[in-house]
Amino acid sequence: MQPVVQFENIRKSFGSFVAVDNLNLNIERGKFVTLLGPSGCGKSTTLRMLGGFETPTEGRILLSGRDVTMVPPNRRNVNIVFQDYALFPHMSVAKNIAFGLELKGVDNRQIQRRVSELLELVQLQDFAGRLPSELSGGQRQRVALMRALAPDPDVLLLDEPLSALDAKLRQTMQIELKAIQEQTGKTFMFVTHDQEEALTMSDTIVVMNNGRIEQMGDPATLYKRPGSAFVATFLGETNLLHSDVVGTDAGEAAVRWNGMTIRASAGALSPKAGDAIYVVLRPEAIQCSAQEPGVANRVKGRIRQRVFKGNHTSLKVEIGEGHLLNALVHPSEVEGLSRDDIWVGWSSEATTLIPARNAA
Amino acid sequence: MRAMFHDWPGLALKSFYWLFVLYLFLPLSLMVAVSFKDASFISFPLGNLTIDWYAKVIQDKQFLDACLYTIMIAAATTAIATVIGVWIAMLIGSLRGAAQYVAFAVACLPAVVPGMISAISLRIFITTIDLPTGTVAIILGHVVHAVPFVVVMVLTRLRSMPGNLVDAARDLGADSIVTFFRVTLPYLGPAIFGGMIFCLLLSSDDFVRTFFLGGYRPTLPMLIFARVQSGMSPEINVMATLVLVVTAVVGLYAEYLTRRSRIR
Repeated sequence: MQPVVQFENIRKSFGSFVAVDNLNLNIERGKFVTLLGPSGCGKSTTLRMLGGFETPTEGRILLSGRDVTMVPPNRRNVNIVFQDYALFPHMSVAKNIAFGLELKGVDNRQIQRRVSELLELVQLQDFAGRLPSELSGGQRQRVALMRALAPDPDVLLLDEPLSALDAKLRQTMQIELKAIQEQTGKTFMFVTHDQEEALTMSDTIVVMNNGRIEQMGDPATLYKRPGSAFVATFLGETNLLHSDVVGTDAGEAAVRWNGMTIRASAGALSPKAGDAIYVVLRPEAIQCSAQEPGVANRVKGRIRQRVFKGNHTSLKVEIGEGHLLNALVHPSEVEGLSRDDIWVGWSSEATTLIPARNAA
Repeated sequence: MRAMFHDWPGLALKSFYWLFVLYLFLPLSLMVAVSFKDASFISFPLGNLTIDWYAKVIQDKQFLDACLYTIMIAAATTAIATVIGVWIAMLIGSLRGAAQYVAFAVACLPAVVPGMISAISLRIFITTIDLPTGTVAIILGHVVHAVPFVVVMVLTRLRSMPGNLVDAARDLGADSIVTFFRVTLPYLGPAIFGGMIFCLLLSSDDFVRTFFLGGYRPTLPMLIFARVQSGMSPEINVMATLVLVVTAVVGLYAEYLTRRSRIR
């Protein structure tokens, strides 16, 4: 099937600053794709180029197979949900949603039907006559979403639309957004710097850094098998252990870190002895116990910090002299453990290896 | 009582305010009071009250004609100045850097040029281009004076407009002209309305420019001026009172409307 969006060798520079560099990206129809990265990584520029508000310096953009690189925003079939919603303050909710349809020349009866259909989708039927200033943040968010969906775009672009909401509402809206995307079958391209949003909603996450794509894939793969130190640290909490390979054996590598030898599955890598390498160890992969655990990697440590967070406890465990590991364990696991003498351990499959030259 | 005197700065603040109000309203009240006086000269005490002077003024053909003429000129001035003012504000809003400041300064210039200087220069100008004094020349003079007020009010509102409203309209399929009429213009609405009221008041109140550019048909300020020269009478007070009431009502109504739209 033809991808709905194709970015081909896109480069965008503002003066001497290169915002997006050699971007190649295909987006499949009906997917929830998230561009994730820190501010200034080029994700918003990429979105604005697809929306038609920036023109690429080089390369071309295809929308449903048509070259739209130079087409102005009002003549390309994509719609944006803006960061602060950009609802028209003098128009009612219904008028806001009808705006794009009216400009498409849809007849009045159909407009009315579509507007009430969309309002129903987000349970705002009773608010059709209200002005945007009379709505709460979450309601405005929904109206902005419906306004952008109304003209039936090929792709819906969302530019950090949840950043203005408080934490609780943001979580509700994440679930709702994903449900609406699934219900309508639309292609969503979502831009955010919030890794939790990306993990919650996306079919595909595209991690961007310095104008380039670092890695893309489904959330679970990216989380479990990050391809670079940048991805490993940006997506979730992680312990990044800078080590040296000492030997390999049947798909496993033995690496030296902080005076201990760690056994780690090599995955797709074929490391050689002497290579510098990062071991990615997620905090939740670490077990803590009073007795020596029966896993491939185990070492004695001292608890330096313990923070009870309700459903889990977060620990900082010192290994050797001054090396700290972050661990996330179930509260019952650490009950009655002595602070100065515990075992920490993890299996060889729990870690991922990243060549150290990819360090961010 | 003691507490009140302890707060003497607050007391002074209030007292001066009320003194100012007195200073503002005393002359106006005298003017209004005398318009009801039952005698053909201005003196005190007032004695018997009457509305005869009002009846007389309202039947005064010259007065009614001057009112009509003033309103006509004010309406034309407002229409033209509003279009030009919004146009210039949009232009300045789209400029960047030094060009923006220069354009703004030039647009504001007519507001700070003394009325007399502006009137004389316009008089010389219309003579040079062989334009007769009269209606067209007056409107020309009033428009030049009114435009900066529209520009400033509209530009202030324009600068408070979220930039992505225009982006959103474009994104939903509007070209720049549709965007202007359906999104930008309604957003500017309250400012444009305020600017129009300002134009109306500026034009109907203008004496100097009208005096230099006008023909034989007097506007209201010119008529009152001419009558005053031939001696004060309660009739003048009546005219002035009527102008005062109409102006105050228009001004307050405008303030009420813009305030309401600002709350939204």
